[in-house]
Amino acid sequence: MNQSELMIALSELAVATEHEIQMEESPYGIDKKKLGMWIFIVSDACTFGAFLFAYGYMRIGAPVWGTPFGFSSIMNGMVMTAVLLSSSLTMLAAVRAAQSGTKALAEKWLAVTMILGAVFAALHLREWFKLFGEGWRLFYNPTGGAQQFGATFFSVTGLHLTHVVSGIIALAFITRGYNQGHYDESHVETAGLYWHFVDLVWMFVFPLMYLMNAR
Amino acid sequence: MSSNRELTMSSYVGLGVGLMLIVGLEVILTYQHLATRTLLFSLLCLASLEGFVAIMYLMHVKYERRILFWTVFPATLFVLIFLCYFFPDAFRMASMRLLK
Amino acid sequence: MAQTSVRAVAHHAPPQGFVRKYIFSVDHKVIGIQYLTLSLVAAFVGMALSWAMRVHLAWPDVRIPLLGWLSPAGAPGGVMTPEYYLSLMTMHGTIMAFFVLTAAPFAGFGNFMLPIHVGAADMAFPRLNMSSFWVTFVGFLLACATFFIPDGPPLSGWTAYAPLSAVGPVAGPGQGWGQNLWGLSIAMFCIASLLGALNFIVTTLDLRTKGLKLSRLPLATWGWFIDAWVSLLAFAVLLPTCLLLVLDRLGGTSFFIPGGLVFNDQLQPHSGGSPLLFQHLFWFFGHPEVYIIILPAFGIVSHIMPTFIRKPLVGGWKVITFSEIAVGTLSFVVWGHHMFVSGMSPYMAMVFSVPTLFITIPSIIAVLVWVFSLYGANIRFATPLLYSLGFISLFISGGIGGFFLAQPSTDSYLHATSFVVGHFHFTMGLSAIFATFAGFYYWFPKMFGRMMNEKLGKLHFWITFVGVYCIFMTMQLTGFAGAVRRYSALVDDFMIPLIPANRFMTVAALLTGAAQFIFLYNAIWSRFKGRKAPDNPWGATTLEWDTTSPPPFDNFGGRQLTVYHGPMEYDGEASVMQTSPEASVAGT
Repeated sequence: MNQSELMIALSELAVATEHEIQMEESPYGIDKKKLGMWIFIVSDACTFGAFLFAYGYMRIGAPVWGTPFGFSSIMNGMVMTAVLLSSSLTMLAAVRAAQSGTKALAEKWLAVTMILGAVFAALHLREWFKLFGEGWRLFYNPTGGAQQFGATFFSVTGLHLTHVVSGIIALAFITRGYNQGHYDESHVETAGLYWHFVDLVWMFVFPLMYLMNAR
Repeated sequence: MSSNRELTMSSYVGLGVGLMLIVGLEVILTYQHLATRTLLFSLLCLASLEGFVAIMYLMHVKYERRILFWTVFPATLFVLIFLCYFFPDAFRMASMRLLK
Repeated sequence: MAQTSVRAVAHHAPPQGFVRKYIFSVDHKVIGIQYLTLSLVAAFVGMALSWAMRVHLAWPDVRIPLLGWLSPAGAPGGVMTPEYYLSLMTMHGTIMAFFVLTAAPFAGFGNFMLPIHVGAADMAFPRLNMSSFWVTFVGFLLACATFFIPDGPPLSGWTAYAPLSAVGPVAGPGQGWGQNLWGLSIAMFCIASLLGALNFIVTTLDLRTKGLKLSRLPLATWGWFIDAWVSLLAFAVLLPTCLLLVLDRLGGTSFFIPGGLVFNDQLQPHSGGSPLLFQHLFWFFGHPEVYIIILPAFGIVSHIMPTFIRKPLVGGWKVITFSEIAVGTLSFVVWGHHMFVSGMSPYMAMVFSVPTLFITIPSIIAVLVWVFSLYGANIRFATPLLYSLGFISLFISGGIGGFFLAQPSTDSYLHATSFVVGHFHFTMGLSAIFATFAGFYYWFPKMFGRMMNEKLGKLHFWITFVGVYCIFMTMQLTGFAGAVRRYSALVDDFMIPLIPANRFMTVAALLTGAAQFIFLYNAIWSRFKGRKAPDNPWGATTLEWDTTSPPPFDNFGGRQLTVYHGPMEYDGEASVMQTSPEASVAGT
């Protein structure tokens, strides 16, 4: 073994060595990150479900519930829905672009998605502050109805808002890693799955929390 | 399911518009002064339809192996359906309250 | 569908620094041992609490100086107040149910063994795995921290029933920051369990080596896999329950607090909430939780038994696995049997009672499989098998109590008596502990490369086995006599005659607890001084015995493994390793 061979052998020992191992194929035939995200989504859906069932329970049991949302709030909610839905489409575009290898385009769509997410969060907070201004609190109903309205509304939408904000942070993280080459299109796709899920939850939160409470 | 070809981007935009139309329909229904029960039922049906479309197309389940569908849906629905066991007590609560 | 897929596996050099190697390690084996160590510490803490409670029940005037030091207000002069008794009971339940019974058999052994059982180098998400452990660890510290805050640990029980747990400091000592820390601790435990369950599911499905079809999975892996699904769905509901409880406490909401409630002569500023909602949400998690605790035990016992009875279980992998799946599924629809006397709709009582009786069917099938498998077997009575048999015995003895509690008519009498306490200590607590001991004695050689002392192991088994029967059978009997659980003293007329029985239980508990130090000594001594373990000391067939003891960093040294057989290839002295291409001897 001459010196260069020895050097190569040593360098192989030092850095990670890679070889191929035969495994059983996953029954789902998808990337393990993606399967992990699906499993997470199943569990998170149950968490949201429990919150919404608690809301249903409170509402059924309340003698007077009260319906605080005027048309302007409903319109605001509709705009929020449109924004979140569009962000799902831009996310889809980002995944498509990443899969076809057009990295710059993918990053652009990711950025648009994050901006739309931020717009959604801003509209959301505007709605919250409007309610605060009218005297609504977690524990207080200024219209004299059940005090559970604030509790359920703020906790359900708050949980959703937390998901949106952490989604934006996760997307920013993924975009940076993708840009620097640590992450590939499968990471973008997995993050996209989460983002669509947040959108999906909103499709239930909007009718149940807003429309059912329209004046 | 997995044999189908994936939608083009423009079809996805069409899908998004369709979903938005359902949301519009929900809002219209809201202002029809339906009974709470009827409104809730129709809204839940429409939302479930939206959710189903979102899972199948946006979240791509339609183009994955069928087993993913049969994992995700039964597990989630199982929990959500049995959580309904809460409601008999919710209805009793309204009638058993001491302080109205 | 293609049979196999080829994946490039990067083999990284093992970490070198002490911190990366033993503390913030991503290696599933280190994490498994960390979980087991945490559980061991928690188990001794929980046991010490139960000792204090038992001594107080039998001899209410005895001073326990350590308690007086720990909480001058809760135990002035070392004699605990009734409130402090409740605090100790709450922490005993919380620490045992979450940090011992849920953590050890599932997260502890599961982490160590599951990737090896499927022939993988690590979990699917090693870093997530590491964070699961550290979140659990912080959760445990928060739970323990409640002992050291001024008003002590909460007194609302491990179930934290609202409104007691929801109204805040006015409800009694420990209901201020003690209960807040409790809620936070359990929420963290939920998150850790959810991440852990996710990791287990993906690892089992995606990282199986060539030839390891689902039908060839070791039975312990089946137990953990099914358990992971149950955890995933159940903890997903406990998390919102904790969050809503914390909102009630800190946010002023009234999810669980009804109107017009007076605590300590103060009208509570709440209205419209429902304590029943809390019970529903809690038990929607809580009942699956007892199966989260017992399913890994099913798996571990089914995994260990064939090795020592030298034949496959009756019905092969299918009967036992499908009964586990049935138990796991049914566990979600029976939770109302905890609430028969809670004011729940009486019609729902029937809806919950019938599936509760149904769930005994798969449980009995599993028990029959284990018992029938012993027939005609050439049994080797090693300590792991003794503990497995002990598990079966305890599970049957406790399970019979389940028939009484599953029916509203009998449960109305037995609810909140010590019959219930005896019942769940048998079925859930001790069964899982015995299976954990079985697993510990069985896998210790693999985990640490040393054999444990058999003589001490058997001594530990017999004292523990006889001891727990003395404690909890007596406890069930006092329950029939009407002894109310959670009472700190037996002062009512109908309970005074039960004092001798309680003294007997206390003595038994002290002795049985002391016997656990034999185990501790055995484990520590064997870890350093035990006989060196061969790779396959028990003549077993599953993948963990196909590598060195302890396994190298990547478990199999980067070998290509191919699995040819199921996990139970035993026929008397003959056995065939799962990875061996030899002909099958048991036809599995």
